[in-house]
Amino acid sequence: MTTEVEVVKSGSRWKPSLDTLAVLVAFLLALLVRTGVFKHVPW
Amino acid sequence: MADVITVPQVQPVQPALKFLRVIPGVLLLAAVGYAGKLLEQNVGAYAKAHHWTFPNIEYVLWAILLGLAISNTVGVPEIFRSGVATYEFWLKAGIVLLGARFLLGDILKLGGVSLVLVAIEIIGSLAFMTFLGRLFKLKPKLTTLLAVGSAVCGVSAIIATKGAIDADDEDSSFSIAAILALGALALFTFPVIGHFLHLSDRAYGLWAGLGVDNTAEASAAGALYSDAAGKLAVLVKSTRNAMIGFVVLAYAIYWASKGQAQAVGNKAAFLWEKFPKFVLGFLLISVLATYHFFNKDQVGALANLSRWAFLLTFAGVGLQTNFSNMRKQGLRPFAVGAIGEVVIAAFTLALVYGAGKIFGW
Repeated sequence: MTTEVEVVKSGSRWKPSLDTLAVLVAFLLALLVRTGVFKHVPW
Repeated sequence: MADVITVPQVQPVQPALKFLRVIPGVLLLAAVGYAGKLLEQNVGAYAKAHHWTFPNIEYVLWAILLGLAISNTVGVPEIFRSGVATYEFWLKAGIVLLGARFLLGDILKLGGVSLVLVAIEIIGSLAFMTFLGRLFKLKPKLTTLLAVGSAVCGVSAIIATKGAIDADDEDSSFSIAAILALGALALFTFPVIGHFLHLSDRAYGLWAGLGVDNTAEASAAGALYSDAAGKLAVLVKSTRNAMIGFVVLAYAIYWASKGQAQAVGNKAAFLWEKFPKFVLGFLLISVLATYHFFNKDQVGALANLSRWAFLLTFAGVGLQTNFSNMRKQGLRPFAVGAIGEVVIAAFTLALVYGAGKIFGW
């Protein structure tokens, strides 16, 4: 007797690229500045 | 009846663990970068107080030099490596935030000029590197990788092209090593030549953006000259980066037509996949700044955040550059890259001079 095994992948989620992640983080920081959470960023 | 077994996709590293793993390296980037900033402030003041003649060395160069010293003496311990490799992430976040310092009109004006120069640079560089590769009898796919790396945007372009043309791992590591070594040299030679030729900030920024391959090194080479030159170098380099999809697509079609790479299905999807998304982020922040979404203080805060992100990047450029690893890759691809880079640097400098004459800079 042979048993056929079907492998079904599950749980494939969207994984942002490094590029996209950098853009998201930059926009989050911009939002925090815009909303006044970061009032002054020293240099 | 078939037995159906559902196998959940195994995540090799949990995101939380991955995040924890990068922390030591990011702290090292911050420490090296901040040390560079402190050296800039204190060495100059100390030399002045003791009446020494000492050149004013900017934090950019200090951060790179400190990183190079660590990487090429004691080396970067394993625990720091994944965090140090995030320097490209900080570079891209820094470029997006830098968009707040550009008004859309400036981008369109400068971007329009740089787009024409970039198109000429890419065509000229690809043709010359292909000729050199044939002259030195390099493998055709290695030649393609070196050509794309020199003409478009260094390591990212090589990685994108490698996948698209089914090139060997060995060819891509050869090309990456050559491009990184030459990028490191450009960091030190471009500012010296720029000062020697008394180039304006605009001319130098254009030249660094056109002539230096890797985005991190182009940004650093620009910033080493002046803040204004650094801004322009990033803009021009981003214009070059935006071309990556078209060049990689052209090579993918060429190699597929020779039966040595997989055919490209949906060309629009291919272009979108290869398009650097941070360029869009940069443009969007610039649009927001142009329409006063941010007030003056907020633009200042975003500019400083961008500087901090670049500080981590410059530290990473030094820490990631290991000369003995590069030497192991062999001389021939490096020689081709070096000859190509010198010619491309001269060619792009001539382009900048020509543009200066036409536009009266």
